[in-house]
Parts: sequence; structure tokens; C-alpha cells
Amino acid sequence: MSMEDYDFLFKIVLIGNAGVGKTCLVRRFTQGLFPPGQGATIGVDFMIKTVEINGEKVKLQIWDTAGQERFRSITQSYYRSANALILTYDITCEESFRCLPEWLREIEQYASNKVITVLVGNKIDLAERREVSQQRAEEFSEAQDMYYLETSAKESDNVEKLFLDLACRLIREARQNTLVNSVSSPLPGEGKSINYLTCCNFN
Amino acid sequence: MADSLPTEFDVIIIGTGLPESILAAACSRSGQRVLHVDSRSYYGGNWASFTFSGLLSWLKECEQDSEAGDKSTVAWQNLIQDTEEAIALRRKDDSIQHVEVFCYASKDTGDSAEEIDVLQKNPSLVASSTLTKPLDSACLSEETHSDSTSPEMPAKDTPQHDGEILPEVTDREETQVKETDCGEKTCIHTVSDGAKDENKPVVEDNSGQPKRNRITYSQIVKEGRRFNIDLVSKLLYSQGSLIDLLIKSNVSRYAEFKNVTRILAFREGKVEQVPCSRADVFNSKELTMVEKRMLMKFLTFCLDYEQHPGEYQDFTQRPFSEYLKTQKLTPNLQHFILHSIAMTEPSCLTVDGLKATKHFLQCLGRYGNTPFLFPLYGQGEIPQCFCRMCAVFGGIYCLRHRVQCLVVDKESGRCEAVIDHFGQRISAKFFIVEDSYLSEDTCAGVQYGQISRAVLITDQSVLKADSDQQISMLTVPPAEPGARAVRVAELCSSTMTCMKDTYLVHLTCSSASTAREDLEPVVQKLFTPYAETEIDEGDPPKPRLLWALYFNMRDSSGVSRSSYHGLPSNVYVCSGPDCGLGNEHAVKLAETLFQQIFPGEDFCPPPPNPEDIIFDGDDKQPEAPGTNTLIVAKLEASEGSQNLDSPGQHLQ
Repeated sequence: MSMEDYDFLFKIVLIGNAGVGKTCLVRRFTQGLFPPGQGATIGVDFMIKTVEINGEKVKLQIWDTAGQERFRSITQSYYRSANALILTYDITCEESFRCLPEWLREIEQYASNKVITVLVGNKIDLAERREVSQQRAEEFSEAQDMYYLETSAKESDNVEKLFLDLACRLIREARQNTLVNSVSSPLPGEGKSINYLTCCNFN
Repeated sequence: MADSLPTEFDVIIIGTGLPESILAAACSRSGQRVLHVDSRSYYGGNWASFTFSGLLSWLKECEQDSEAGDKSTVAWQNLIQDTEEAIALRRKDDSIQHVEVFCYASKDTGDSAEEIDVLQKNPSLVASSTLTKPLDSACLSEETHSDSTSPEMPAKDTPQHDGEILPEVTDREETQVKETDCGEKTCIHTVSDGAKDENKPVVEDNSGQPKRNRITYSQIVKEGRRFNIDLVSKLLYSQGSLIDLLIKSNVSRYAEFKNVTRILAFREGKVEQVPCSRADVFNSKELTMVEKRMLMKFLTFCLDYEQHPGEYQDFTQRPFSEYLKTQKLTPNLQHFILHSIAMTEPSCLTVDGLKATKHFLQCLGRYGNTPFLFPLYGQGEIPQCFCRMCAVFGGIYCLRHRVQCLVVDKESGRCEAVIDHFGQRISAKFFIVEDSYLSEDTCAGVQYGQISRAVLITDQSVLKADSDQQISMLTVPPAEPGARAVRVAELCSSTMTCMKDTYLVHLTCSSASTAREDLEPVVQKLFTPYAETEIDEGDPPKPRLLWALYFNMRDSSGVSRSSYHGLPSNVYVCSGPDCGLGNEHAVKLAETLFQQIFPGEDFCPPPPNPEDIIFDGDDKQPEAPGTNTLIVAKLEASEGSQNLDSPGQHLQ
């Protein structure tokens, strides 16, 4: 692991109902692809994209739900140590919007206090089938103190903006040193955390 | 979530404890179509960790009438055909017994009056109301009983688990307080629900108490989210099978660990630190130079004792404790080695004692000064990590999904399918069932062990040190011959298992009686109940108990497959947690079953590194989710050999 590869590394986690386009957002952003009618993503844990912001290399590690949201069975450990959450719904699906409070409850329970949450209404390319008005979503996101954006993974609308804005905010927070990697962690963690991936003597 | 579940799988796994979860990951990883279900609303079964309010809900569930409150299921009896027979599964887990809760922390309300339950209330209700409205309805229902003699916790309230399994939630405000004095302190049995922790930091209330922080019950409830309370208390040996498996399978990337910072011993009424590494021994202020030399000599011998059989051959059939007496070790050194390093029962034979000592020493130094690691957020994270690995490779997950029965084909004698609580039949080739799901009929001939557990929230460490962030492992030897040693793990708040200024203490032993009878004597030796006025208990003052829970957990780890009655050969049984300190039993069980089911298949091989994956330009569909083919194709040369960093770790 070479530190000089990047200046920042952030873990971004996607949540939201099945079928709202979480995987498409990630794929569009990381690979520039829109996979039509793709099935579950087999064998891919997270995707990486390194972006440059104001001359600094920011590595984004973007985690997808691995399908565990289908029957509301996301593991708590999925939320741990996320720096940002992208809470996604489908603007053409009222149900996916109605479920947002349930997702917020999970975030509240398991994610870090300092996690940045972004609300994303996806599929604006299907505007003629819209069921959730922009105004409702705005009001909701304001009440919950979330940043809000509408996107189309298909048309690539606002996808770059979503991730780049998020990266900027994460950098800002990191700079202000308010960003904590794990839940609360108010203490100056005595003893170092062992993270296998950073150790070289494993293989 | 009206998503329909496929009806055909290769493997159906019932229960999300550690062995089942490892198996799920292994099966999915080797290309099997896996359905992994649990009737509970959380992962892990008896391996789970809970927030404080989650634990209170769990306690209620344990107390609940076994067959009650489950009427929404579809009868399965008429779904069985003539050529089939059914093996009913148990409706409710009864592996937890003798639950007793004591609250010592002050219950004075002050700021506790509103425990606001924002979103936890009832998701469906909340979801259907107007979303822009602030969700502020309070739901507080507290039932307080005080009775230090009653062996059973009162179970009157209907459970309100997390609202997701119950169709309705009634807003109640009922508080009954009956307090009895038991000696100087008041013991309160407490059942509280609707307790919702808030996000804001605790209002520190330590005015007038410069020495100790005053923690009230309402603070514990408010900060309840900070707790991750394990039902089983285990540690990972640095050179153990679970660590090896986590690393090999890359599941380690889903979790973080801390090294246990010290090994403690309890001798002559005092807690002492055990020097175990070479540096520890030499830096020890408690040991004399002679003792240091003796200890080093003996430990060095233990590292390759097999090379010197002459040294101990007269003792092979005699206890390790007797052998230690002949080794020119002072009594305190013998105590350290016997109880805190080898951690054996007094009857343990010399060879086993030497082997345990060697294992301990081999584990030293891999990650730190002690041989053990503890997962941040608790042991309950580990099964979930394996479940994620399973899901990443296509496994399907359903919590709150109850399997009513196994369907057996009369002619072949093999299990063909299960019927779930919707009355849906789901077929598979292999079935893996956790012991607690098997019915009384199936388990009629089974002899179970029991584990005694206590969970304490305390205000100070059992042994003060420069840093208050210590993770300690203490073995309290049996008070009398024939009794059991008690294992004590003390966790500080930086393990993410308890709130600031508290410690979470787990006590474990194999049961001789109820958990309270087994463990309370040790609790009394180490701690003193919280009292409003500071009583001078001498030097050093004992840590104070804020809250305590006792329970017995069934230990099915010693049950042989053949003692289950009438199970088809393609139904495999996983045991619940064993009493041991490590996780070797669970890993071995999972690996053994996996090899039985899929002989010759690789057990949890490493997955491709996500950073090495780039998608094919054509973006082909993955083949059926059962194949081992990945959608990915080639390695990206530039990042080919790179490892990952932990996210955000360079930020500080």
C-alpha cells in the first residue's frame, strides 16, 4: 500500500430499496457504464475510483449492499466506518421514498454520528413517470438535514456531481478534523486498531 | 418489501450464528446458490451483540411465552404430499434461561423523562405518515420491578422488539416501581423498552464527584447506542483458526480489531497484571530478578517442550499444577502460568498445560503484547462479516423469516424442501440448521451443557492503569476444588462496546448452577454495587456496578450428530456457541461440515481484490448466480499488486 498514491481515502456506502439504481450509480461513476437490466452484482465487494480535486488525489471506496436490502437484511457491520452514505430512492417509485425513514433509523442506529448523508432521487430520465415531487424530497431532506440531489444513472445526469461534491465535502470535514472514522470515537483510541489490510505480514 | 423469494437453491441455511455464517460464505464462495434465513430480526442468534435497548428487547423476547404471539403464519400441514413427511422446527428458541437483571445506577429522572423514540417506533406507521412532519411522538413504556431475591425476571409486557415484526405498537406510559431494600443497596429488576438513545453527547453530571463519574441509568439508556453487548464473550487467538480464516477469505476487511492490552490474574483477593511477553517480564515491578529469570526460563522451555520430553515425562499422567510445583517457580508464578497463561482447569494434565502455554506464547507478539484480539463493535460483527461475503457472492438473506418445517421425501429419505411462514415451499439439495431451531422431538435424546454468563456495566477498571482504555482478560480460579474457573473480559469504550466512562465486563464459565449462583461470588469479589454516597471501601476502591445481567445459555457444542432423532442425511446441524475462549470450535465445525457436503472444494478461498477488478467493456451478464464465474475479467496492471488501506486512516 503506497501512501503516495492518494491524499485521502473515503468509504462511501450506498443504501436504499432494491431496484432504485444504487449499483447503476456506482457503475456509471466508476466505469462510465450503464448496464441495462443487470442482475445482482456477483463477487464485487466495492469499487474504487480515484479522483483529483484541487490537485489532491482522493480515493473513493464505494460499497454496495450486496443485495442484502432486498429482504431488509443489511448487516450492521456494513454501516460501520462509512464516511458517507448515499441514501437512494427512485423518483418513479413512491414506495422507495416512503421507506426512507426506515433507512434513516438504521443509519441512526449503526452509522457514525459524523457520517455525511446524501439523499439521492434517481431515474430522472423517467420524469414522465415521476411519483415523488422534487419539493417533497427537498422538504424531507431539509427536515432531516441532508444534502439532496436528483440523478440519472442512465443519462449520467448529476452522477459525477454527486460523487465529486461528496468528495469535496468529505475533504472539508476531514480538514476541519471533525471527521471521525468510526462511531463517535470520542477517545484518542489507545492501542492501535489492527487492520489486516494495512499489515504486510499476512500473506 | 414485496420482493419474491426464489424457490430453488442449492443450500438453505437456517440460523445466522458464526458456524452457519462461515458455512454460508464458504458455500456461496464455491458457487452454490445459498438462501440464508433467520427467524429473528437480527444477525447472529446467540452470537449477536446488542445495543442497550436492543438487549432489553432481547431479554423480553427470552421471557416471552414460547408459542405465543405468532399467529400470522400459514399452516403447513396440508402442503405436505402423500409421498412426503414433515419435520417441524421449533417455533421459539429456548436456549436462554435464568435471566436476572439488576440495576444499581441511580434511576433519578431529571433528564431522563423524555426518552424520545424518534424512528424506532414503528417504521410502517412512520413511513405512511407525512414525511415532512417532525417525527416526535414519544413512546415510553417502562416497567420497573425491584426484587433481589426473585430468580426470574417478570415477563408481563408484550415485546416490542423493533417494531418491525409487530403489526401494531401501542403507546403506553406505565411505570410501576416497587423498591425493596436489600441491605444497604437497592437492587432493581428493570425492564425498559421504547428506550431510545439520543445522538447528542451525555451531559456530564459529575459535579461534586471529582473522583468518579456519576453515571445514571438514564444516561446508559440515552447512550444505549454506544453499547454493543455480546451474548457470548470470546476473543480471537492471534494464531487461531478464526484469524487465519478471516485473513484467508478476506472477510477481515469488513471488521476491525483491537489487541487485548493486558492479561490479569486474581490472587489473594487482588487483581494483578500478568507479565507475558519478554519485555513485560523484564519491565515488571512486581517480580524479583530471580522470579524474572525463573519465569523466562520456564516460558522458553515451553516454546519447544516437545524437544525435551525428559523434562516432564514423569508427569504426563499427572496434573499440570503438580508439575509446576517442581519447576522452581514461586507460588505467584505458578498461579500466573496455570490460570492466566495456560488458562486450564486445575485437573488439566501436564502435557495439555504445556501445549496451552505454548499456544499462548506463540500468539504473543503477532499483533501486540497479548495473544488476543477483540473485534470492534463486539463479537457479533463476525458472523455478519461472513454473511456479507456470502451475499457478495450471490447469497440471499432474509431475517425475520421463519422456516416451519423440513419436507422429507419418504422414498429417498432425503430432505427436499422447507416450508416457510408464508407457506411457501423452497427446495434445495442441502440443509444446514442451527441446533436451537430443532424441535423437542428431534432433540429428545440430546444432552446439552450450559454456559453461565454475566454482563456488567461498571464505572472503573478492575485494575487502574495509566490509560483508562484497557482491554483486559482475567481468569478467576475456582474458589474451591472442583468448581469452575471464571473468565472475565473487561472492555473499555474504545472497543465500541460501551459508553464513555464505563466498562463492559463479561463473565463466563460452564454452568454448575444458574448463572447468578455461579458468577455472583466472583462479581462480589471484584465489584461493589453502585451507591449514591461514596463508601470508603479501602484501597484500592473496587469498581462499582451500574447494571448487571445474568443468564444461562445452552451449550450444544458437545452434541454429536447421531443423537438428533430422525434427521435426513442431507440435513446438517450447527451448534450454538461453546464455552471456550476462542472460536476454534465454530471454525472447525463449519469447515468439517463444508468438507462433508462438498468434498474437495476449497474452503473460503480469497476473492479477487476489488481493486484488481475492472469490468469487461461488453459488460456481459453474469451467468447464473450459481456459477463460479465472475463478471469481471482482467486485472488492471497498474494497481495489480496493491493492498487496500483502511478508509480514512490517513486523515488524522
